[in-house]
Amino acid sequence: MNNVTLALDGAWKVLLTGLLLGAGLPAIFALGIRALAYGRGGAAEVDAGAPPHPAGQVVGAACFALVLVGVGLGLTFIVASGFGKALAFTPWPTLVAK
Amino acid sequence: MTATVVLVLVVVTALAFDFTNGFHDTGNAMATSIATGALAPKTAVILSAILNLVGAFLSVEVALTVTNAVVRIQDKSGAPRPDLLSDGGSALLLIVLAGLCGGIVWNLLTWLLGLPSSSSHALFGGLVGATLVGLGSDGVNWAGDGSKLDGVLGKVVMPALLSPLIAVVVASVGTWLIYRITSGVAARFTEQGCRWGQIGSASLVSLAHGTNDAQKTMGVITLALIAAGHWSDTKAVPLWVKVACAVAIALGTYLGGWRIIRTLGKGLVEISSPQGMAAESSSAAVILASSHLGFALSTTHVATGSILGTGVGRGTEVRWGVAGRMVLAWLITLPAAGVVGATMWVVGHLLGGLLGAATVFGILLALAGWMYARSKRSHVDHTNVNDAWTGTPTSQLEPAGADGSAR
Repeated sequence: MNNVTLALDGAWKVLLTGLLLGAGLPAIFALGIRALAYGRGGAAEVDAGAPPHPAGQVVGAACFALVLVGVGLGLTFIVASGFGKALAFTPWPTLVAK
Repeated sequence: MTATVVLVLVVVTALAFDFTNGFHDTGNAMATSIATGALAPKTAVILSAILNLVGAFLSVEVALTVTNAVVRIQDKSGAPRPDLLSDGGSALLLIVLAGLCGGIVWNLLTWLLGLPSSSSHALFGGLVGATLVGLGSDGVNWAGDGSKLDGVLGKVVMPALLSPLIAVVVASVGTWLIYRITSGVAARFTEQGCRWGQIGSASLVSLAHGTNDAQKTMGVITLALIAAGHWSDTKAVPLWVKVACAVAIALGTYLGGWRIIRTLGKGLVEISSPQGMAAESSSAAVILASSHLGFALSTTHVATGSILGTGVGRGTEVRWGVAGRMVLAWLITLPAAGVVGATMWVVGHLLGGLLGAATVFGILLALAGWMYARSKRSHVDHTNVNDAWTGTPTSQLEPAGADGSAR
């Protein structure tokens, strides 16, 4: 039965990480779209009479940048594991030997 | 001479498996982008093929011990079991050949039925079947030694049960959040923005697939080479093996398993760009997180679970009938591929030597040719992959597929 316990132990960690990155990053991306639409106003909003707010553009760009960092970490992880390295969070992401 | 010909047959079969692995899994990454029109079908498969090719070369690490997850034909370092090495390693080569055949036949059958199923589980199933009849139950690694997730139970059964559930949860939460956050934004604006997120996340899934899956075939071929005495380094893969495997999986991906892409993109849920983005992000995150934590999940199960999850999260219609067929296919993947692998081993063993291996290869070719011919009856390619879903177009094949005989 060890495999069952080990699997459940691994599963909740995968679920937690998955929720954080797999649902969190898209949510930030969506926030970026929300902010960008707020920034543009007009046709980007359901209420087409909404005025543009320049601050929205800035917030939107910041959100997208955050998502890019996340994707960059994902890429680094894929490439690093191919070269026998692992990504450790100490708390900053650093490459360590596997 | 005989041993060399058998080895060549094994290598060719392994590359053929790698090729089926490629087209079987194109849909995991690209089905949603194709369904929402974020990418034209041909563009999507080219992008995915290139990323798989790059991914395959990125995996410098040697996956020589890939068969250890389910069978005991090599030791921890990757060297083959000495008692299987007499007569040019023919005992080991036959197990590997029969196992690969089991994987290929199952991959082709599920492709014919338009069902996504795990290529790794098909390969494992074939190997388990061939080993069970070849070496007995002791040759199969059923549950490992209990110190880590291992064996048929830990590497196949548990992940298959848990991974779709994890993916459903992550993708449904992601979809729900995206729709909540973007309410009030014009639909077209959201749709356009999410296309970029969708393409980016789908690309990550493709790349991860290339690094994970091509490695498995590289490991199998290298094992065969060592067994036949044509390679001795257990720390490296011959360059030509790496190149051949990378090209095989990329060509397979480029061919695109359109039948499976169609089921994933149109069959489960009607998908929009925000849903596509949620699905692929969920897949990418779950796959990367699980391989980081040493909890090997199947890309196919995760991708399918993610797509289902987006339907749940948005509260739209999910075709549970189609999903049920897939789950059924997953449940029987291991035993079904195992039966084929076992049968192939028995045929090869009874005839023996070159004749046996050649006959096994011939049966594989005949079965593949038959299934290819059957696929022509309901053709699916890049021109009609996105047509409206009208029932399950491949269901007429089910009786023939289920009992394995032609009508």
